[in-house]
Amino acid sequence: MTDRATFLGRIRREMGKTSGLFPATTAPRPSHPRLIAETLRRELAERWRETLERFRAEFERVAGVYHRVRTAAEVPDVILAIAREREARAAVTWHPSALGTDWRAALTAGGLVTATMPAAGVEAIGERQALRDLIAAADLGVTGVDLAVAETGSLVLLSGSGRPRSTSLLPPYHVAVFDRDALVESLGQVGVFLEAWHDGDPAAWRGGVINVITGPSRTADIELTLTRGVHGPKEVHAVFVEGGLRG
Amino acid sequence: MTTGIRASLMVTCLGDLFYPEVGVRIVRLLRRLGVEVDFPAGQTCCGLPLFNSGYHVEAAAVARRTLPLFRGSQHVVVPSGSCAWMVKHEYPGLMTEPSLRAEAEALAARTYELSQLLVKVVKRTRFTSAIPGRVTYHDSCHLRRGLGESESPRAILRDLDGAELVELPGHDECCGFGGSFAVRLPEVSTAILDKKLANVEATGARCLVACDAGCLMQMGGGLRRRKSPVRPVHLAELLEVDGGE
Amino acid sequence: MSELSTPFRERAAHALDDRFLQQALTIATTKFIGLRREAFDAFPDGDALRDRAREIKEATLQRLDQHLEQLIDNVEGLGGRVHYADTAEDARRIILDIARRTGARLAVKSKSMATEEIELNEALLHAGVTPVETDLGEYIIQLAHERPSHIIAPAIHKTKGQVAELFARELGREVAADPEELTRIARAELRQKFLDADLGITGANFAVASTGTVVLVTNEGNGRMVTSLPRVHVAVMGVEKVVPSMSDLVVFLAILAKSATGQKLSSYTTLVQGPRRAGELEGPDEFHLVLLDNGRVRQIAGQLREALSCLRCGACLNVCPVYRQIGGHAYGYTYPGPIGILLTAMLHGGAAVKDLAHASSLCGACAEACPVRIDIPRMLIELRKDNVERAVAPGPERVVFKALARLLTMPTLYRLAAPVGRLLQRPFVRDGGIRRLPLFFGEWTRSRDLPAVASRTFSERWAELERER
Repeated sequence: MTDRATFLGRIRREMGKTSGLFPATTAPRPSHPRLIAETLRRELAERWRETLERFRAEFERVAGVYHRVRTAAEVPDVILAIAREREARAAVTWHPSALGTDWRAALTAGGLVTATMPAAGVEAIGERQALRDLIAAADLGVTGVDLAVAETGSLVLLSGSGRPRSTSLLPPYHVAVFDRDALVESLGQVGVFLEAWHDGDPAAWRGGVINVITGPSRTADIELTLTRGVHGPKEVHAVFVEGGLRG
Repeated sequence: MTTGIRASLMVTCLGDLFYPEVGVRIVRLLRRLGVEVDFPAGQTCCGLPLFNSGYHVEAAAVARRTLPLFRGSQHVVVPSGSCAWMVKHEYPGLMTEPSLRAEAEALAARTYELSQLLVKVVKRTRFTSAIPGRVTYHDSCHLRRGLGESESPRAILRDLDGAELVELPGHDECCGFGGSFAVRLPEVSTAILDKKLANVEATGARCLVACDAGCLMQMGGGLRRRKSPVRPVHLAELLEVDGGE
Repeated sequence: MSELSTPFRERAAHALDDRFLQQALTIATTKFIGLRREAFDAFPDGDALRDRAREIKEATLQRLDQHLEQLIDNVEGLGGRVHYADTAEDARRIILDIARRTGARLAVKSKSMATEEIELNEALLHAGVTPVETDLGEYIIQLAHERPSHIIAPAIHKTKGQVAELFARELGREVAADPEELTRIARAELRQKFLDADLGITGANFAVASTGTVVLVTNEGNGRMVTSLPRVHVAVMGVEKVVPSMSDLVVFLAILAKSATGQKLSSYTTLVQGPRRAGELEGPDEFHLVLLDNGRVRQIAGQLREALSCLRCGACLNVCPVYRQIGGHAYGYTYPGPIGILLTAMLHGGAAVKDLAHASSLCGACAEACPVRIDIPRMLIELRKDNVERAVAPGPERVVFKALARLLTMPTLYRLAAPVGRLLQRPFVRDGGIRRLPLFFGEWTRSRDLPAVASRTFSERWAELERER
């Protein structure tokens, strides 16, 4: 085993023996990522309809199930319908502050046992374990979406308080709710947001994981036959709320 | 009719020893097209077999003695894509002296595989087929990937009077020759060949055309062994110029 | 087989006799080739991005030390720990120490070629830690006590019938040979393991220096499980996996899945940062990044430098005429296929590939398919050259080639080749061709005819051709 200085020292020594194979530069980075991201959001807001259409096409191409509602109040109906069809009894959701709206009452009234993730940090390991078990036992996980990427039909989810990572991982059905603010066109634009989220001191986002989800969990490891729902969800639903999720 | 085009034939070792008829046909064809053809004496091999097996000092020696033989050539025409690749791609790097390197680069620029010379220099794609019927074409690796050339042979074959070109499934897949590979790993080489020949036979073609002696030796050897009616032919063996053209 | 046989040649011949393997390889590689082609046909920016990706890899190497320093600082700033492994043994020792210190008994692993390379699983077992592979393909071969036969589809060589038998034997579960059913069983078995495991071990497809982020690309979700549920996460990565920034990362993400499986992106691209953040429910208590040399650093100034760009996508395997015939096990090392030969030389030295360097017809399909345009054939020839210069190539072969070289540089000698050839071949020529030759030449004629040396070579006919004019 080596230490940092020795390890890097050897790398530097080898580097010193060559100037490389050809002149090369790395990718250009936005100089003010948060500003650029803001500008990008404003521009994208103007073309949200086309972006949504492309997102829908790509999302369905990767076996995502797409829904559209006019207002946030209609979302629980969609979730309840999904739950009924799949015989799902229990759901877990992100905290309302992370979702933008509170659907607990509507979902519970509809017969779906719903647990909401707490907003404040839960530190005690016993409590964390209990919440983890709750998520693991749930049939349906309801989350928001930080970016909906049209190029690939992907959902980008940041982890954080009130938005634990396994809500979109452990239950077999994942329902992601989003509005036009989340829409972006391309992976390149995702790159801008990734830069922006880490920009600043302290960084704008200081969570543990960013998940880029493109369709349900899948494998073709046995004779190249595609099966879904290996370790992650077997279905991913995206619900678009025309009227927006906040206020 | 003369075109003012002069071409020196680099006949290649396999061409010289095993497929002289191909060389003969090329000479006669080019002359019919008004190209002045010569054959610099003292040729042996381009050195590719030595190069590919890692004998670079020896390959460089072969390259160094080949270079001056073509010093005065306006164009060099080569019946095999792999040999053309060797000259164009590897000769300059094998030369350590700057003057030889410059000469090798100049030679590389004037070296053409046969179909390239016909299409790009002589600017002719129209010929009559010596063997009428369905033909299929195998892209040899060094010609297609090494030299980026998959269009010139096809342009000629598509225009070939009396022949019908059928695309070969897996046309860009290796035939399994690979030079010494064919005898170092003969079982693998043969398995690759069998796959290629199954595709060839599936086309129903009468002739299998290629622009490389190595590929023809491999595929021809397999077709003969299984007594196939498909004839392996070099492109040059198909091309005839009608009288009066 | 003659005395010219080598262990590799025998393994290859053995693979050729395995009919199911032959079928599986044809189906799988053909499918992957088609998927990759479709994905890039629909992606007009593809070629330009591949050039960019290649350039970014080279640019990263040109400042590798700085990027690694930044990565290390950021990982440590997030509360993670970084370890430095010169050799495979170092890496194993580091990971075993972590396992011991944290009292780990059960480890779940997300697919990682780097951990295969350092032969981690055996070491964990000996230390009393049970490693469980969670990628379905890896899980299957782990139960079967085999090694992966393909970089991204490790169990490509197994039929569903064989998998069902395996599950019956190893898990005591009777089940039909149906991929859906088999997957459900694996899901249930492994779900409990994820929840019970103390230690999660992954590789890293990329590590972003500017943020300290480790990136995992998976389809099954096991990468997410392994990095969220156990209390300790260890990521093992070759030093060349570092990318400078998120802006660089997205260039690679745009081409990686397309090259591997034809998907625009895999189901999960997971960007993990350090141990559990304050305020979050989940995440490991400890995050460790093991930086692995194991032969890579020497290639920074070495002839295999280009191979350090490899994204481990498997595209070269799928198009290689040799791999397609013999599969991964015949290569005999962790990494199979065209890039595998180079990586084996990197890890074990040039002499280790004295036969493998010839497991190629130099067709170039690999370089054509490679998303970062690694010129594999060029480096294979370099390895062959080294083995000649260091007299690693067998003596008799060197004698033959040097004799050939003499023949080709002496025209008077060369002119004798045809008459001598015609004389020697006489007993063997039938109808202008040769069906059987003795000794070494039998390697050709066993399966193919050979043309006879022409009764008059081209050179011998030139004089009269000249006169024809």
